[in-house]
Amino acid sequence: MKTYILRRLLLMIPTFFGISLMLFLILNLAPGRPGVQQNGDLAQSMRGEVTQESYRIFREQFHLDKPVLLNTRFSVTASEVREALQSAAGVSKTTAAERIDAQETLEDLGSYSVPHLAALLHDPELPTRDAAAYFLRLAALQPLEDPFNPRPSAELRAKNRAIDAENATLRTLRYTPEDSEETKQSVILGLERWYREHEGRFRFSTGDKIRRFFFDTRFAKYWRNLVRFDFGVSLTSREPVVPTLISKLKYSLSLSVGSLVLAYLIAVPLGVLSAVKKGTRLDRGVTLVLFMLYSLPSFFVATLLLFTFSAGSDLVALRFFPTGGWASRDAGELTTLGQWADIAWHLVLPMIAMTYGSLAALSRYMRTGLLDVIQADYVRTARAKGLSERWVIGKHALRNGLLPILTLLGGLLPAVLGGSVIIEYIFGIPGMGLWVVDAINQRDYNVILAVELFSTILVLFGLLLTDLSYALVDPRIRFE
Amino acid sequence: MSAPVPPDATRTSYSTLVARELRKDRLAMLGLKAVIGLVALAIGAPLLVSNQPFLLRDASGLWSPWLRGLFDRLVFESAVDIFFNLLLLLAPFVALGAWALGRAKPELAAKRGRFLRGMGWVFVAVFCALAPERFGSLENPLHYSHQVQNYRIVASEARAAGHPLFAVFPPHPFSYKETDPTRSLLAPGAEHWLGTDTEGRDVFARMLYGTRISLSIGIVAVGLYVLIGIVVGALAGFFGGWIDSLLSRLIEIMICFPTFFLILTLAALIRERSIFHVMFIIGITSWTGVARLVRAEFLKHKGLEYVQAARALGIPVRRIIFGHILPNASAPVLVSATFGIASAILVESSLAFLGIGDPTVASWGETLNDGRLEQRLWLILGPGLAIFFVVTVFNLVGEGLRDALDPKLRR
Repeated sequence: MKTYILRRLLLMIPTFFGISLMLFLILNLAPGRPGVQQNGDLAQSMRGEVTQESYRIFREQFHLDKPVLLNTRFSVTASEVREALQSAAGVSKTTAAERIDAQETLEDLGSYSVPHLAALLHDPELPTRDAAAYFLRLAALQPLEDPFNPRPSAELRAKNRAIDAENATLRTLRYTPEDSEETKQSVILGLERWYREHEGRFRFSTGDKIRRFFFDTRFAKYWRNLVRFDFGVSLTSREPVVPTLISKLKYSLSLSVGSLVLAYLIAVPLGVLSAVKKGTRLDRGVTLVLFMLYSLPSFFVATLLLFTFSAGSDLVALRFFPTGGWASRDAGELTTLGQWADIAWHLVLPMIAMTYGSLAALSRYMRTGLLDVIQADYVRTARAKGLSERWVIGKHALRNGLLPILTLLGGLLPAVLGGSVIIEYIFGIPGMGLWVVDAINQRDYNVILAVELFSTILVLFGLLLTDLSYALVDPRIRFE
Repeated sequence: MSAPVPPDATRTSYSTLVARELRKDRLAMLGLKAVIGLVALAIGAPLLVSNQPFLLRDASGLWSPWLRGLFDRLVFESAVDIFFNLLLLLAPFVALGAWALGRAKPELAAKRGRFLRGMGWVFVAVFCALAPERFGSLENPLHYSHQVQNYRIVASEARAAGHPLFAVFPPHPFSYKETDPTRSLLAPGAEHWLGTDTEGRDVFARMLYGTRISLSIGIVAVGLYVLIGIVVGALAGFFGGWIDSLLSRLIEIMICFPTFFLILTLAALIRERSIFHVMFIIGITSWTGVARLVRAEFLKHKGLEYVQAARALGIPVRRIIFGHILPNASAPVLVSATFGIASAILVESSLAFLGIGDPTVASWGETLNDGRLEQRLWLILGPGLAIFFVVTVFNLVGEGLRDALDPKLRR
């Protein structure tokens, strides 16, 4: 048993890795700028040196300047860099959007473009040369190493001091287009001198290249944080994702787990009932009603429930429940018990809307499972011993009959998690589902990834628990 | 000469048996009839609802704006509609052709199935050609748009001016996309049978044309994922070994995905998404069930004698997989596809409900969300019941098929 659990846990790692890889690729290859309101005017938000600079820093901070999965930037050619410079400087005919793209490309290339930029410092095309000088200075700046370390070692401090000093020199090596040609020439000479001194840093050995090929990428940086259970920071609110996620879990899990438990509590007796009364009108009636319920879309039922029974209903007599949300606004003044009751009162309608759909499958499987078992010899033996029917069904048959609907649990979990999105949307419950819909609209990658990876983990463990619960219900099943 | 066989005995194939079994199931037959009715409704929608008159006499003489409007992107915004209109024009000819083929020469009757199948592929090809808005920088040449007037308004203005035009309109002369701010949120009445939505669009028209969207979503998305599932499952089940381990891992990964989140993310990330994107997204995310079924069937079948015989005869592997095993393994796929259509329709309307659908098509989910926000019962009930009906119908057929394919299950 222990080895089985261990093996399953280990198998989860490649599955999880695969899922994170796929999600990561989908998100990062999709069009749209992260952190920028998608319906907002992009040109507006990109205008102005300050915004552009802060966006650059933002990109660096979240590693958005890195290639997604594999890094081949060390093989960038001089002509590619020159082309980008030309369009960034506006030498070649470009639209404003193309210019911004070229600038971003150059910024992203960073230190990989330094040798080529240095070679272009004497380009006969003056705007290209100026652009080369500008981007060389930007690309040459080095980030501090481990800047948030609270207790840096003497070595690290010395290293960072050196980087700081170098960056300070580099920052002086700039000119504006209005400067005289002499000033420009002296700055360019300064840049060249700097490059000659540090040339070695920009030559990569094969080992270096291989390392960078795999690890100087967004995906690698993301995973480096992930192994420390760090899902990063929301790109929009700049708050760490994990605490928010945990606070949202309260809502989503109570909804989905609650509705699952409720579904089993209702479906099992119904299934047993229709198995015991097999073929009667009762059996057929239950099956038919559940089948109809199964075909009703949950958002339709939720909307109808709200329309009829909520505080906003036209039928004043039926205004039993609130219009949505998790708790009343003045819930803080209630006693603990009162708060619980308040939440329960808010959850009645969402729970109904979430639960009824899964009843049909569950009770059908329960019915079939029990029917399979009822014909077994040991049930006949139990009857022959003169045990009461209640005892025969409840004690002898039910346990084995439960097996098939346990298999369903693992499959229901992803569906329930997905279904909670709609329910949370309709009832305005601030859980994971609502959060992820907002995040998707704002291209908040870290939040989307965190929510989806987290629900993947939930599903993975749900599947494991399902398999383990077989052994609990049926001692014949052993995992060796 | 072979001994004479009673003609019926030779034709008792597996599918005939299943059809016979299915015919016994009253509910499933009812569902099947409803499906056929829905398809007919979807194809014939312009005959009932259109703001283009069948016949009109104006300055340019007697002509049919309706016929010209059938393929006009300004009248029917979505390529799905253009496709269904094409079906409307061609379906009678195809049916006539099939009938004539049987009538003219009895020995050709057997070829009718092949003829219909061929026509089916032609329609699939046309559908694929209609789907993209543009090929690279080239606009899709099949998309025809012409400045079209709203002839209902033209006719009523002419009547008000005192010189009425001769015009024959469909029974419900509205379009699903014509907006009118003065008619916003009208209750159901004689003119607007099911009322209007916030933008003043006729709900009955949107419901009827929504049938087209739902049906095509269901069929296309499911067709796509059945295709993917069959290929993946067949490869994994037939070859086994490392191919199986690899593909099984892939299947497992896809199962652990919270699929609805994935669909949501994919749909939201596409700019200018069309209904075809939604179909595609549902198709590429939901194939795991079919793949598992097919894999299991192939594992079972590949050791059987007929496969061994086929192998011994030196038949190429591709033909063994698709010609020999697949027909025997396709029964559970058929059942799961029927249920799949129902759930694909549900997913699409959920997306539209969340506002992540294609805003240019008449989707039931969108109208329902409108009703939720505006608290109008006629905007909630209509689409809700329509979705319920379609989903029920496909589920009924699915249940019937399952029982017919495996009568042991029926208890």
